[in-house]
Amino acid sequence: MTVAAGVGYVLIALGPALSLFASVIAKKPFLILTLLSSTLFWLISLIILAGAWRAFLPVKSTELWPYSILILTSVGFQEGIRIGFWRLFKKMEDMLNAFADRVSKPRLFLTDKMLLALAGGLGHGLAHAVFFCLSLLTPAFGPATFYVDKCPSIPFFLISAIIALGFVIIHTFSMVIAFNGYTEGKRKDQIFVPFAHLIAALITLINLVPGGCNIGLPLLCIMAGTTLYYSWQLVWRRLTEHQTTRSSD
Amino acid sequence: MARVRVFLAVLFLLFTSSPVHGADNGSDSVLESVPDLEKAMYLNLKSYPCVRLLNLLGEIGCSNPGNDKISAPIVRLKSGTISLARPSTVLLQEEQMQDFFLRVSGDMEFSKNVAGVLVEPSETVNMSSGFSPADKFPQSAFAPYSNTSYEWNLPGSGIMWNKYDFPVFLLAEESISTLKEIVGEGNEASPENVAEFDLVMQTTKLGTHDSETCLKDQTCLPLGGYSVWSSLPPINISSTVTKPIVFAVASFDSASFFRDRSLGADSPISGLIALLTAVDALSHVNHLKNLKKQLVFAVLTGEAWGYLGSRKFLQELDLGSDSIRGLSSSMIEQIVEIGSVGQSLGKGGTLFYAHAGGESSGTKVILKALEDASESLGSDNVKVKKASSMNPGIPPSSLMAFLRKNTSASGIVLGDFDSAFSNKFYHSHLDNACKLKIFFFKRKITKKMFFLHFYQVIFCSTTANIKTSSVAAAAALVARALYIIANGDATLDLMALNDIKVNVSLVEELVGCLVTCEPGLSCELVGRYISPSNGDCPSHYVGVFQDTPSASQKPSYVDDTSRFLWNFLADMTSATRDGTDSCTGDCSNVGDVCIGSETEGGGKCVISTTRYVPAYSTRLKYENNIWHVLPANPSDPMESVDPVWTESYWNTIGLRVYKVESPLYDRLVLAGGVFVTFASYLAVVIARTQLAKVVKRD
Repeated sequence: MTVAAGVGYVLIALGPALSLFASVIAKKPFLILTLLSSTLFWLISLIILAGAWRAFLPVKSTELWPYSILILTSVGFQEGIRIGFWRLFKKMEDMLNAFADRVSKPRLFLTDKMLLALAGGLGHGLAHAVFFCLSLLTPAFGPATFYVDKCPSIPFFLISAIIALGFVIIHTFSMVIAFNGYTEGKRKDQIFVPFAHLIAALITLINLVPGGCNIGLPLLCIMAGTTLYYSWQLVWRRLTEHQTTRSSD
Repeated sequence: MARVRVFLAVLFLLFTSSPVHGADNGSDSVLESVPDLEKAMYLNLKSYPCVRLLNLLGEIGCSNPGNDKISAPIVRLKSGTISLARPSTVLLQEEQMQDFFLRVSGDMEFSKNVAGVLVEPSETVNMSSGFSPADKFPQSAFAPYSNTSYEWNLPGSGIMWNKYDFPVFLLAEESISTLKEIVGEGNEASPENVAEFDLVMQTTKLGTHDSETCLKDQTCLPLGGYSVWSSLPPINISSTVTKPIVFAVASFDSASFFRDRSLGADSPISGLIALLTAVDALSHVNHLKNLKKQLVFAVLTGEAWGYLGSRKFLQELDLGSDSIRGLSSSMIEQIVEIGSVGQSLGKGGTLFYAHAGGESSGTKVILKALEDASESLGSDNVKVKKASSMNPGIPPSSLMAFLRKNTSASGIVLGDFDSAFSNKFYHSHLDNACKLKIFFFKRKITKKMFFLHFYQVIFCSTTANIKTSSVAAAAALVARALYIIANGDATLDLMALNDIKVNVSLVEELVGCLVTCEPGLSCELVGRYISPSNGDCPSHYVGVFQDTPSASQKPSYVDDTSRFLWNFLADMTSATRDGTDSCTGDCSNVGDVCIGSETEGGGKCVISTTRYVPAYSTRLKYENNIWHVLPANPSDPMESVDPVWTESYWNTIGLRVYKVESPLYDRLVLAGGVFVTFASYLAVVIARTQLAKVVKRD
């Protein structure tokens, strides 16, 4: 598919991630560290999952339900880990605040905490994109293209890139929603994230059906858009509320 | 989808070392790694190329036009196609080959858009009129008579002697199904299927376009190989030969449009097999020593490319080299050549034709011997007839070289044809043992022959271009005739003559080993003598002469067929030693040879006079690590018409097929990626400013 198409696929999968990184994360070294450690965290969770599932793989069935069980357990585990990640974040926040008090510097602002969540989410999303899309993309730089039997209308690499794009957005903004949800204790936010993740993962199962990718991909993009919108609403509300409370004391 | 599958597979891969077997339902096999993905994207098609050959005047054959691989979209040739819109890979059926290549040579407008050609072998071959890319009178310049426009090969089109500036590949039978999956029936939508050819020829890269220049620049090698001769019984080396010689000859090389697909079943391997069987039959006669004449058998190679084997043999005889020690050209009285003998089944028995050449008193002896032999075979009904006097002379054969060298020589070419070849697939890749067409014999067959036909049908269930019963009949005829000639004018021992019987199962074994791919060279008979180095499928293209010519009888680069023939003939003509020594090279006694030295158990030493004789153009001389083309010897009329064939060096030859997107798609994807990146950047900047406004509201 030539170098042009290869570069195109990389940009589709990682475009928003790169933009976020360049404009938001790159300026603050601590955010870069957060991003890297969350990438590592996510990969470790994958390794543990693979170890747990080793005995049952490969799934030779052509039915979809064994894959749903796999997805259910994996998403469940990762969401559990997310809570653990949040707890760690809370501990780190306390340590940072204590340190700030000692040197008479201001404590973490709300925006800082949200940026940390963003960096964490972006780390997850980046890991997903690299692992599931970029690692397969080398042949895309050559002259040939590839179509999977079950999806003869869209080239394989394009499907891969779009799915990676969807999940980058979902992972990044889920973390923002989740952290806010756990901090504020709001049930609605806390439930939204695991559900969104689960639904998005189950949507990819539609791609296993012949011709399903024509439905699955748009649905995934809608899911990503929903997460983005929800996160924006939440952040906007939170920041305006916070301003109001601050200005009122 | 693939994403989930790949996820699972990659996860699994992280924790297992053994690869997973996928493909339970066949069509969608599990891809486990990026190399697997690449293998699924780029399909290598097993195929046979047509390569670049050069002669003194120019080039023939096929090559990539430059130094790089060529890729072009695959287009099936339909009968009404007037022209090609853009450079394409033309996909042909076998039946379309002849017309296509004739058209390409004549029509520049058409051929400029031919980037490459793929020939798809037909499952039902519908070529009742035959197919032959050779000339109508092959190698006519070597004929000892002047009528060079006579047509021996009626279906001949001559397309293999033209030069093509594009690659041509014949697909193997295994690749047909892959191709059908890929190409379908004329879907020209994006993505297109593209064939990529790697047929870069050294001579094209370096611009050496004829034999002399390419040999000097070392971009090519001369064609050649090793012929084998053997005498029955072995000649005592210390004493010089006093007996006159009866010389029985067959050739064992063929040619075709595609380098690695020259089986030559009927022409000339049927003759080779008949000769080998005759040697086997005669080896059981105990009193050969007492016959008036000495029997010498020779199998020659390179005959399809300027009679290299026979001319070099004759030159060695003149020079008195080591390789022909024990022979002398003046002692050769009669020459019997076995040509194509695989198709002579006619109404009630087999009929062969004796084409006589040279001085008539000698040929009369041979003809009489053949007739007597035919009579002695009685109920087997093997007839021989003198060829029509309307023929201008002998058909294309090694005998032509012998006659042109020495006009007092006399010989006969035995064949299954009279005025024109009965082989409709002369020098084509279709001259093989199994053709995929069901044909029922509607002939009255004698009981013995019925059994043979039946066995043949089980073995191959098709019409073959070579029939074992025909070959067996020829072998019987020749064996008895040679005995009669060697007996000279002494009284003929009729009991001994009638004892000469042909081993029909040997004929079938040899057909299986030399002309088919199953079992091919991995058959038991070949395995007794050599371990084949080039796979199972025998190939009878003479190949290039890779050795440095030397007088050694242990040359380094001898091909599988020549090595088998040397070992086989040595075994058949041997007087075994008492106490078989196991050997791997040399034998303790001078004059002994070690047969089967390559096999696992080692070989055995036997007394035999069997020698390799190099076969390459008499105009070539190897000096200072380079082949030099010498000027033609004026006393040898064949040297001035010798084309001096060479084959270009090549690095790798390959064919692969893959899908490509249109360039518009690639640009769209790039644009899409850039758009997504910039749009998201813009969105982030706008969001940041908005949020900053909210935060700073007080």
